[in-house]
Amino acid sequence: MAGVLTVAATAGGPLHQQIDALVEQRLAERNIVPSETSSDAEFVRRIHLDLTGVIPTAGQVRSFLDDSSPDRRQRLIDELIASPDYAIHMARVVDVMLIERRIPTIRSYDVPSPAWRSYLTQAFAENRPWDRIVRDILTSDGTDEANAAGVKFALVRDVEPHLLTRDVGRLFLGIDLQCARCHDDPRFDAYRQADYFGIYAFLQRMTAFRDNKQNVSLVGEKADGGTMFVSVFTAESGETSPRLPGGEMIIDPPLEEGNEYVVKPEAGERGVPVYSRRLKLAELLPRAETQGFSRNIVNRIWATMLGRGIVEPLDLHHPGNPPSHPELLAALDEYFVEEGFDTRALMREIALSRTYQRSSMLPADSGQIPADVFAAARLRGLKPEQFAWSLLQATGRIEQCMEALETAQKSDEATTTDEPPAWKTRLAQLEPLDRQAQQLAEVFAGLPGQPAGAFQPTVDQALHLLNSPTMVSLIQNAPSTLLARLLAITDVKPLTEELYLSVLSRRPDDSEVAEVGRVLESAGSAEQERETLTTLVWGLLLSSEFRLNH
Amino acid sequence: MSQSPSSTLSRRAWLASTAAASLGCCGLTSPLRAESAASPRKQLLLLFLSGGASQYETWDPKPGTTTGGPYRGIATSIPDVFISELLPHTARIMDRLTVVRSVNSGIADHFQGHYALQSGRVAPGYPVLGSAVAKLLERPGDVLPGYVSIRRDGPKAYTDVGDAGFLGAKYEGVRIVNSQPPANLTAPAGVSPALAEAIERVREAADGKFRQNRDGEPIDRYDTTFDQAKGLMRQREIFDLSKESPADHERYGRHEFGQHCLLARRLLQAGISCVRVTHFDWDAHQDNFYWHQIRCAEFDRTFVTLLDDLSQRGMLEHTLVVAVGEMGRTPKINNFAGRDHWGRAWSMAMAGCGVKPGLVYGATNDDGTEVRDNPVRLGDLFHTYLRAVGIDSSAMYEINGQTNPIADPAARPIEALLA
Repeated sequence: MAGVLTVAATAGGPLHQQIDALVEQRLAERNIVPSETSSDAEFVRRIHLDLTGVIPTAGQVRSFLDDSSPDRRQRLIDELIASPDYAIHMARVVDVMLIERRIPTIRSYDVPSPAWRSYLTQAFAENRPWDRIVRDILTSDGTDEANAAGVKFALVRDVEPHLLTRDVGRLFLGIDLQCARCHDDPRFDAYRQADYFGIYAFLQRMTAFRDNKQNVSLVGEKADGGTMFVSVFTAESGETSPRLPGGEMIIDPPLEEGNEYVVKPEAGERGVPVYSRRLKLAELLPRAETQGFSRNIVNRIWATMLGRGIVEPLDLHHPGNPPSHPELLAALDEYFVEEGFDTRALMREIALSRTYQRSSMLPADSGQIPADVFAAARLRGLKPEQFAWSLLQATGRIEQCMEALETAQKSDEATTTDEPPAWKTRLAQLEPLDRQAQQLAEVFAGLPGQPAGAFQPTVDQALHLLNSPTMVSLIQNAPSTLLARLLAITDVKPLTEELYLSVLSRRPDDSEVAEVGRVLESAGSAEQERETLTTLVWGLLLSSEFRLNH
Repeated sequence: MSQSPSSTLSRRAWLASTAAASLGCCGLTSPLRAESAASPRKQLLLLFLSGGASQYETWDPKPGTTTGGPYRGIATSIPDVFISELLPHTARIMDRLTVVRSVNSGIADHFQGHYALQSGRVAPGYPVLGSAVAKLLERPGDVLPGYVSIRRDGPKAYTDVGDAGFLGAKYEGVRIVNSQPPANLTAPAGVSPALAEAIERVREAADGKFRQNRDGEPIDRYDTTFDQAKGLMRQREIFDLSKESPADHERYGRHEFGQHCLLARRLLQAGISCVRVTHFDWDAHQDNFYWHQIRCAEFDRTFVTLLDDLSQRGMLEHTLVVAVGEMGRTPKINNFAGRDHWGRAWSMAMAGCGVKPGLVYGATNDDGTEVRDNPVRLGDLFHTYLRAVGIDSSAMYEINGQTNPIADPAARPIEALLA
C-alpha cells in the first residue's frame, strides 16, 4: 500500500518537505491561507513540550531567543530529541497511549509503575524500533527478566480476552471493533464480526496466573479452545482460526494428543503450551505487511505532534472515515517503514516541517478554518503529565531539584566508577519530584480506559488550581524558587522578563511591563510586594496561555 | 471543532451563540423534546438499593407459598394490590407509585447487574444513567455539576462500577462520601478575598490578550470552568445539611439513608440534574428476613417522607424518583435463612415526573419464580427513565467523531408506564 499514492510533487526531498508540499497543495486547492510561521517564542515552548513533555526554563528560552543563527530551530530539535528527557517524555506518552490509565481489578496484580516506565524509557532512549516494542509487549508473559514489564498491557486488562481483542485492534491497528463483537458493524462495512473473532482467537486462550510465592502476576495459556461466534442480528454463525484483518487464517500445527503442553495448567502451575497462539500474534502483528500496523502509529505520532490525527478518531480507520490527507499518511507510512519503524526519525521530520512550525495566531479575516487542514497550530490542552511537570518547571522546582543533586554529587564525586546511561541518571534525578508530579497529573487526567480525546477541563480542576493547599505551597514555599528569584530583582523590566520567561516562556511586551510596574508601585511594604508577586505568578499559571499548547 | 475569529466575539456572545447551537464541543442530535428554557428543569433521583433488595419482602409478596417467607402482604391504597408488610407507610401512598413486578434482567451478579442497571446495556464502556442525564439535560450557562452521587465510605467494590465513559470527566458524578462536600470549595488559608480577586484579574487580563486572533473555543471552555468553580464556591451551602431544619432531619430520619435523602432533596432543589443515593446492605445471603426488616424500616419512612416533601414543594412534577437494586433475590430460601442472587423475576418502583401513578405493571407466577406477564429488561427501564424526563431515548450521541446510541437500540421504552 505504501508508496502507491506518492505524487510527483513530493518525489525526492526529505520527508519534512514532502509534508509541507502535500499539506500546502491541499490548502491551495481549498483556497485557505495558512498562518505565518511561529515566532521563536512560540516555537521554543511548543518544541520543548512536544519533545520533552515540559516547558523550557527561563534560561533555555532566553538563550534560544538570543540565538540568531539561521539553523537554530533545527539545532534545538536535534538537541532535544537526543536528550534523555525525550525518552522520558515518550515513555509517558506511550504509557498513556497503551495503558490508558487502567488499573487491574485487583490493584496489586500489576507491574509496578516505576518498572514499566523505566522499561519504556530505556526503549526510547535506545530508539528501539516500534515493531520491536510492540512485539516485546505482546510476547511478554512476565517471566523473561529483560522483558517482564511488557506483561502490563495484559495485566491492566485483567488478561480478559475480549478487552485485549478490542485494545489490540484499537491501539496497534487503529480499528475499534467493539460493535463487531456481537454483529457486523452496521455503521462501517469494513468492521466484520469475523475480524473481531480472528483477533480474539489469538488471545482467547490466555489466562491470568498469580504466582503467590514470588508475588507476581503472569500470563499463562491453554492449548485448546476453538472460536465460534453468532451474530445477534442475523443469528448467522461462524467459526474462525486466528486471523489478522485482511490476513490468512493461521491453523494450529497438529500436535500429538498428550503432547500439547510444556507445562500443563494445574493448580499452582502456569500453563505453557507447545504451540502458543499468543506468540504467533506477537510474531505476525508488528510487521509492515499487517494492515493498519504502521499506519496506526504514524497517525498517532502525527496527532501527538499536531494535536489532531490525519485520521480522526485515531481508532476509527475505515473506508467510510478516510484520512484528511491520504497521500500524506501514505508518505509518512512509507518513510516510517523504510526507516525501520524509527519513531525518533519520524518525530524529527515532523518537527522540522513548516506545517508543524506554524503559528497559532490566525491570519486576519480568516473566518472559519476547518480543523483538518493543518493551516494553523492547533490550541490543545497540555496533557496531564505535561501540565504537572510544567507547573513544577515554572515555579523553579525542577531546577532546584537538579541543583540540590549536583551539590550532593560533588561531595562524593570520586566514588562513581561505572557511568550509568544518561536516561537512568535523569530518571533518578527526577525521582524526588515524581510523586508530586503524578499526584498533580491525576487531578487533570481523564477516565481510565478512555482515549485522551479533546481538551475537556472540569470544574474540580479549576477548584484545585484556585484553592488547593498544593498550589499555595507550589507558589509560595521553598523549594520553589520563582518567587524568591523575583523578589531579588528590583527593576521592573528585568523582573517582568523573568516572570514571563519562567511561566509563559516568552518575553513580556511593553504594555505587560507597564502593567507589572503599575501594580508593584502600589505595593508599599515588603509584605505587599510579596503578595503582589504571588498574585502575578498565580494569575499567569491559571491563564489559558499556560494551560494550552499553542 | 471550528476555529473562529474570536477577537470579534465576546465570551458572553459566544456562550449565547453556542447555547442556540449545541452544548459545547460535543454535539447531540437534539434528543430533548421541545421545551421552553423557562420551564423547570427535569430531574432524576436514583435511590439505589445496593446488593439487591428482595422482591418478596418489598413489592411482590407471596405469602403462604414455599418461597414466600414469613411476612404477610398488606393492603395498599390501590384496591386489591398488596405489598410486603415491611413497607406500611409506602402501602398508604401506593396510588402515587409506578411499580414494575416483572423485571427479568437475567443477571445474578453484582458487577454485571450494577453496570447493566446503570448503563442500560451489557456491552461495556457506556456512560451511567447519572452521567447521561447530566449531559442530556444540561443547559447553557449551567454552573453546578449535572450529577452527584451520595454514599457512605465503603464497601467500595461494585457500587463504584460505571462512570461517564466517553462523555468525559465533566459528566462524571461528583461524589459526596459520608456527607463531605467536594474538595477545595473554600479559599486556602492566607488567600483573602482581595487576593483571590487580584489573581482573577491577572488571569482574565492574560486570557483577553491571548485570545486575540486565536481560536477562542478552548480558551472559552477553560474560562467556563473558573466561572463554574466560583459558582460552586458561592453556592457551597447546598452541601451543608446543617442548614436544614431539625424537623426535616427528624422526619427524614437521623440514619444515614435519611440524611442522604435529605441532602439529595437539597441538591435537587439547587438544580442538580441527577442525584444518586446508595442505600447499602440489601445483599442478605444470611438472615434475609431480619435484614429486610431493618432495611425496609429505614427505606419505608424516608421514601414516603421524601416523596411527600418533593410533592409539597412542587418538585415531584419535574423529578423522577427511581428505587431499584441491581437484581432481586432467589425464591429459594437457603440454609442460612438467606436469599441469594437472582435476576429472572424481580421488582422496582418509580414515582413522579413522566410516569403513570397508581400503576402496577407486569406480574410473576404464584410462587414468584418466573415472570408471567410483560417481562421488562434493564435496557427497557433505561429507555423509560430517559423518556420520563423528556429525553428521546432513540437519539444518538455525537462525540469526538463517534456516533453512539444514547440507549441500547435493542431495548425500548415501556410506553405503558409513561404518563
